[in-house]
Amino acid sequence: MTVPAAVPSLDEATDLQAAPLEPWQVVVWNDPVNLMSYVVRVFRTYFGYSLDRATALMLAVHHEGHAVVATGPRETMEVHAQAMHDFGLWATVRKAPL
Amino acid sequence: MTAITISTPITAVEELHLARLVDDFLELIDTSRDVGDPAVERLTPSPYPGDQGSTAAFAEATRNDLLDRRAADARRMRASLGDFDEDPTALGDAALESRDLAISLDELDPWLRTLTAIRLVIATRLGITADDDSGEDGRHQVYDWVGYRLELLIQAADDAGAGLGS
Repeated sequence: MTVPAAVPSLDEATDLQAAPLEPWQVVVWNDPVNLMSYVVRVFRTYFGYSLDRATALMLAVHHEGHAVVATGPRETMEVHAQAMHDFGLWATVRKAPL
Repeated sequence: MTAITISTPITAVEELHLARLVDDFLELIDTSRDVGDPAVERLTPSPYPGDQGSTAAFAEATRNDLLDRRAADARRMRASLGDFDEDPTALGDAALESRDLAISLDELDPWLRTLTAIRLVIATRLGITADDDSGEDGRHQVYDWVGYRLELLIQAADDAGAGLGS
């Protein structure tokens, strides 16, 4: 039997709480121009969401004024927001509220 | 993989008006990029409203690219429309003749995005801020008609399953 020359210090457990993932969000805002059918189609074709999910998100945008359509790393969310702008949707990026 | 083509009927006079709207849109993007036109602003919204630092950095990096893509979309759409005389009356009796306008899967998003962008521009000009805004201005009819053409295309595309996976 031997013992390792250096025993890993188990006390150095990483504190996951100290390094939160800091997720970001893409928020799509209501506007009076875009057609409901169009918004649903964009959510389905771009994000690959089901008809039901895309419709629910569209209705949330319509009735509540906005909806979070994606969550993840900031850079990815910026890419998504740009894609929404390409489609003429009004999208913003924000840090997910804790 | 089968090539999906979306087909919608369109009359000659409608096609002519669409072609002109696209031409006007291309001119707007070419000439109004840097003059603070609210319609162009609406096409390039800030992803970070209220955060001047992030906004400026992001906008500078992406705005021109976005408008370049808009112009490419519009040119793509324009290419599938016919060439027309300046004068719509030159169409004569052919004005109401209808043809099936075939749009390939590759052309679909450029069409949808450009029709949407044209509506956003008109809405900005008209100051439309509510779903049921209407008015005396003749551009309201153009706005509604472009919406009708867009809806037709969306329905045809959805029915064909275009872009919606298997």
